[in-house]
Amino acid sequence: MAMSYIGSRMLDRELKKGSAELLILSLLETQPRHGYDIGTLIEQRSKGHLRFNVASLYPLLYRLEKRGWIQGRWVEKSGQRRRRYYRLTAEGKKILKEQRNSWREFVEAINSITGLEHA
Amino acid sequence: MPDWNDEVRKRLRGLKVSPANEAEIVEELAQHLDDVYQRALASGAGEAEAKQMALNELNAEHPLLIEVQRYEKHAPEEVILPGETRRLNVLADLLQDLRYATRMLWKNPGFTTVAVIALALGIGANTAIFSVVNTVLLRPLPYKAPEQLVMVWEDATRHGYPRDTPAAANYVDWRDQNSVFSGMAAIADSNFNLTGVGDPERLKGRRVSASLFPLLGVEPHLGRVFTAAEDQPGTERVAVLSHRLWQRRFGGDAAIVGKTLTLNNESYTVVGVMPARFQFPANDDELWVPIAFTAQEAANRNRHYLEVVARLKPGVSLEQAQTEMTTIGARLQQQYPQSNADLGVAVNSLHEHMVGDIKPALLILLGAVGLVLLIACANVANLLLARAAIRQKEIALRVALGARRWRLLRQFLTESLLLATFGGIVGLAIAYVGLLVLGSFIPENISQAREISLDLKVLGFTLGVSLLTGLVFGLAPAIQAVRLNQSETLKEGGRDSVTGRSGKRLRGLLVTAEVAVSLVLLIGAGLLINSFLRLRSIDPGFRADNLLTMKIELPEPKYEAFERREAFYTDLVQRVQSLAGVRSAAVTTNLPLYRQGNSISVRIEGRPEPPPGQELIVVTRIISPGYFDTMSIPLLAGRQLTDQDTETTQNVVVISETMARRHWPGEDPVGKRLSAGRPRSEADWIQVVGVVKDVRQFELNAEPRPQMYLSYRQAAFFFPEDLVVKTDVDPASLAATVRKTVWEIDKDQPVSNIRTMDEILAESIARQRFSMLLLGIFAGVALLLAAVGIYGVMSYSVAQRTHEIGIRMALGAETSAVLKLAVGYGLKLVIAGVVIGLIAAFALTRLMSTLLFGVTPTDPATFVVISVLLICVAAIASYIPARRATKVDPLVALRYE
Repeated sequence: MAMSYIGSRMLDRELKKGSAELLILSLLETQPRHGYDIGTLIEQRSKGHLRFNVASLYPLLYRLEKRGWIQGRWVEKSGQRRRRYYRLTAEGKKILKEQRNSWREFVEAINSITGLEHA
Repeated sequence: MPDWNDEVRKRLRGLKVSPANEAEIVEELAQHLDDVYQRALASGAGEAEAKQMALNELNAEHPLLIEVQRYEKHAPEEVILPGETRRLNVLADLLQDLRYATRMLWKNPGFTTVAVIALALGIGANTAIFSVVNTVLLRPLPYKAPEQLVMVWEDATRHGYPRDTPAAANYVDWRDQNSVFSGMAAIADSNFNLTGVGDPERLKGRRVSASLFPLLGVEPHLGRVFTAAEDQPGTERVAVLSHRLWQRRFGGDAAIVGKTLTLNNESYTVVGVMPARFQFPANDDELWVPIAFTAQEAANRNRHYLEVVARLKPGVSLEQAQTEMTTIGARLQQQYPQSNADLGVAVNSLHEHMVGDIKPALLILLGAVGLVLLIACANVANLLLARAAIRQKEIALRVALGARRWRLLRQFLTESLLLATFGGIVGLAIAYVGLLVLGSFIPENISQAREISLDLKVLGFTLGVSLLTGLVFGLAPAIQAVRLNQSETLKEGGRDSVTGRSGKRLRGLLVTAEVAVSLVLLIGAGLLINSFLRLRSIDPGFRADNLLTMKIELPEPKYEAFERREAFYTDLVQRVQSLAGVRSAAVTTNLPLYRQGNSISVRIEGRPEPPPGQELIVVTRIISPGYFDTMSIPLLAGRQLTDQDTETTQNVVVISETMARRHWPGEDPVGKRLSAGRPRSEADWIQVVGVVKDVRQFELNAEPRPQMYLSYRQAAFFFPEDLVVKTDVDPASLAATVRKTVWEIDKDQPVSNIRTMDEILAESIARQRFSMLLLGIFAGVALLLAAVGIYGVMSYSVAQRTHEIGIRMALGAETSAVLKLAVGYGLKLVIAGVVIGLIAAFALTRLMSTLLFGVTPTDPATFVVISVLLICVAAIASYIPARRATKVDPLVALRYE
């Protein structure tokens, strides 16, 4: 049915967007990283299941930056081109904590429902 | 190496950002592409393949420009999927909202049920009453330009009749002298005995001016209406039938026009049949004949029996018409001082006349249902507020997951509207059933009562009400819920505006308002119930039990001779009295409580003739001697009428106690003499032989007027037409036997209106019962809703404070102290509501003073009793959840977060 197709696709998008934010914030928790680094890490750690290309990754980074959750800064190192590194702001740390909780609750909720259906 | 900067810039062409900003973006993206390219080369790919892999990074689902632009311009976060239109998205969102809302409501059956029932009661009651009001008050009368139609009356306020039926000569003068009406028509009651086809039947009909039908602007369904020539005495007798009579008695015979009927033993030619919807003036009129005044009739100013309808000329207002008619009335007063002294003219709209005095009752009911709906909405709003508080975590989660606030707001609204729609559907069912029930209580004499049904306008009204309700109660909680500061809410145990102080205040305010509105309704209902009980307890002056009544009108041509009538009545009473199960029987001109009957102006012997306008008007009944025993009317002095009072003996009369008191104060009236009108000879004097108790002849709640009773053997001015039978068995069980007895005497004599006196008594207060019943139901619903509301708020408030209560209990607080704390909060809200409600009730109940009997609109007893009742109910409703809270184990309560 066309309608449910649109519906599920939209749900997919919402989910992906919500989780993408969480992923980026998590990766920046321990150290600042540049965009290529972030994209590669997501791909590696998800064993290739999740992949962001340039066209979707950078707009997301810009959005998080605009919200004040991360901050980008050009860093030059000897012998390398300058790169834009992103780090987590204080606000971003708070959001990350909250989103982790929400995500846990969400996953638990999903699990409990899907678990129930199998029972 | 490919020029990545160029590739990126190409795709960002048109991006409206500062050049510096753009350069940074391009640089960053180009580096990324270069990284991808380098890695591809490192893993062994060819140059072309590596380049393609890098460029693929840019060929995403969405053009890069749009994605970056969205961020840069902070464009609305509406997603536009490629290849799909925005409309489809809205539709998909709506469907998703609906599905989600349905799931939420389904998952909370308790909440959903209570909310839907609350709404359905409000909406259902509203629709049912609106249907009635719409039909009776709002729907225009089924005549051409009905707003121009008026009724014209004699204003005999001096005699207690501000709108009296005019005499024919006055009607003729009005018709000929006025310049404000384009037409005027007279109507007189006239009943017909239909014989010659099937069972003889009494038909309710009217004599009408030929001008009536054109004046109303109604065309006949078949044939034609009357010509002016037919409205003259001595011409051929013609009749127009109602659609109902035509169907009922003649099976809708298409060839009825031109056929003849035997009515009152005379032959009438049917000239037409009116359409089904036509009724005038009453809904049970079955045929019309021309009024055809004789010269003598047209000159009579003393018999007041007409109803006069007129059509205002275009541009003439009711006030202008009244002014001119007052002038004409004053002229007639001077011209005919004997008959027209103190006689004015009153004009009122036909609509007002037809709607009658039910209007205030209906308007008050309409107000009452509005209030019930308000309470229902407040209740649902309260439920939703409490639930929004409980759902705050869910909302925060959704916001954190990227749900947009507008979407959330819409989600809440969808839920509310869905709830309102369910409420509307169930409400419509309630309305349908309610209307059936209501229909059986609507007093029959409201002319449009038969047409009442649910119609499209009503459906629209309900739909509007339920949608508006959804908006009103959905918006407040939704706005509050979405105003959440998500970072605040996500903190464990965080309190926000919904659960916090302003939310609590809002819910408290709603409860107070509910209580106030319920109190007003309850007091209104209390006053009506009080009135009704007082009305019921009035002694009508006779005993209504075991009385069977029926109408036996003797047709005039056949029974014109006094002897024939006398013989018929004597024979009838004797035969009926000898039936098994019958204790006694009598005939009378009018039964009590039928709102009609004859009056005569009398002169008392030895007193001067009263000046015109101050005649002694006495309600007069012509009876057979057994009447007082049959009706159990107690004799207070002297003797009853007997079979020995005949044409050849002294004329005698029995009078009522009020007449005795008023006309012979401090004297014994027995032995005194009076006459009907001016006595022409000694034989015209009538001697008072007895005094009986007052009987409420017209209405239960009208003070009895002077009354007198004469024997049918001595008085010939009116004919008895009601038979009343006192039985030893269930009176209704004798109906067929008594009717057969009538037909044994005259097989052509119709019998109608077979009723028990108890039914007549009940009907006489049907309007009051109707109002009381409805307002009582509404007040009951209001009380129930208010109790549910208080209970809901208290449950929620106690649940919120479980933690606090646990601490208090753990610290050693007494159960009673905790109970006091919780119930105290509930009572504070309720008492505030009661105070506001009392003030409002003081202001509002005076609007219903016309509906009350024997109680003042501010009856202190009613006010006090109802307030106490409401406070008690409220106390119980807040006690139950409070009690539950004290039963909680303190340890559990402390862990309650």
